[in-house]
Amino acid sequence: MTPDNPTPVTDAELHAWVDGQLLPEFVPVVSDWLLQHPDAAARVQAWQAQRLGLQALQRGVLDEPVPLALARATRPRRSRPWLQGLVASLMLGLGFAGGWWLRPVDTPLAGAGEPGFVQEARVAHAVYVPEKRHAVEVGAQEQAHLVQWLSRRLGTPLKAPLLEDQGFGLMGGRLLPGQAGEPRALFMYENPAAGRITLHVSVLPGDAAPAPAAFRFARVGQTDTFYWVEGSLGYALSGDLPRERLAQLAEAVYRQLQQPG
Amino acid sequence: MGPEGALTHIPRLRRYARLLTGDASRADDLVQDTLERACHKWSLWRPREDGSGLRGWLLSLMHNLYLNQVRDQVHERQAVELDEGNEPSHDPFLHTPERLDLEQALRQLSPALREVVLLVCVEELPYAEAAQVLGVPVGTVMSRLSRGREQLRHLMDGGAPVQTRTHRLKIVK
Repeated sequence: MTPDNPTPVTDAELHAWVDGQLLPEFVPVVSDWLLQHPDAAARVQAWQAQRLGLQALQRGVLDEPVPLALARATRPRRSRPWLQGLVASLMLGLGFAGGWWLRPVDTPLAGAGEPGFVQEARVAHAVYVPEKRHAVEVGAQEQAHLVQWLSRRLGTPLKAPLLEDQGFGLMGGRLLPGQAGEPRALFMYENPAAGRITLHVSVLPGDAAPAPAAFRFARVGQTDTFYWVEGSLGYALSGDLPRERLAQLAEAVYRQLQQPG
Repeated sequence: MGPEGALTHIPRLRRYARLLTGDASRADDLVQDTLERACHKWSLWRPREDGSGLRGWLLSLMHNLYLNQVRDQVHERQAVELDEGNEPSHDPFLHTPERLDLEQALRQLSPALREVVLLVCVEELPYAEAAQVLGVPVGTVMSRLSRGREQLRHLMDGGAPVQTRTHRLKIVK
């Protein structure tokens, strides 16, 4: 088929038309051809209905929390303890020999430790979540102002994800100092039964070589923190919730942040 | 990115596996095996420059695991037939209802056709990517897609599967 000579429309082109995989210039050609070939049009219509029907099947699974066993399966198995001991002593030997121990420990996103912003997020969560009257500086009723203000202070456009679907209402947010005095944003959400969660946003230094998004968990005391890096921003979602529930919320946050606009 | 990058893909993998196997717990087992294999083979994954392509790689790992399962099942089924003869109650095709809903119809497709239909319609992969996941030429994807769609249409209209069924193992005593 060519745009000038549309007569033989192939089966493959009909499928591509249904799947939105046809080159844009051929779409009207096939559409016109279908108008003149009702048998083919009926077949194609059935395929379209099938496609929509299939997409609707088991949709609920997408919103289910990820079972812990599956989330755990994304973490490589730990090596055997004796091997770890061996590695540790080797590292120690190398470290002392090479002056490795003099290097700063807070290298952002260094493989072993967690990034500094996670620690900050945990502290902010612990400090502000119990606060009754002053949990947030700017309330959700001034949402546009809140987002604008925090975006300006962090020097990058931010978004306050909405978690109403997940049962968590936005309470508002505040500006916080980071470890070196850099501005950080904190959004707080509340569910009447489950309590409060916080989303902490940090702008990472340019030389931190941001990796593509990868979720990681950290748990200290009752608080689980789910953190990831997207572009130059580090996000940490903290809550005193079952980990699966928090993972589900983090997934919702992540998805909203991915959406343009 | 480490294997934790697979975390965001889990919900979609679960849905895909559920439609593929038609069974929730078998599906989650398949997802778990896939993730474990991904961790094991992580160093073999070559991300594209924009970091994408992980989903395709996970789907191709799942495809290989699923293929092995299907092969094992065929062996088991043959063993059962050898034990129980041609007892009609064991023929899964015998009681085909007059009209099937879409999910039932999907289950009647052969695994190879079902995979292509799901990758294209539900996972919305470009044909070339679906071909990569399955390790077959694009032409094969197109012909399987065509057969899969026609069989689904037929099944939902109340017909029997169009395919000529593979002949079952005959017992020679």
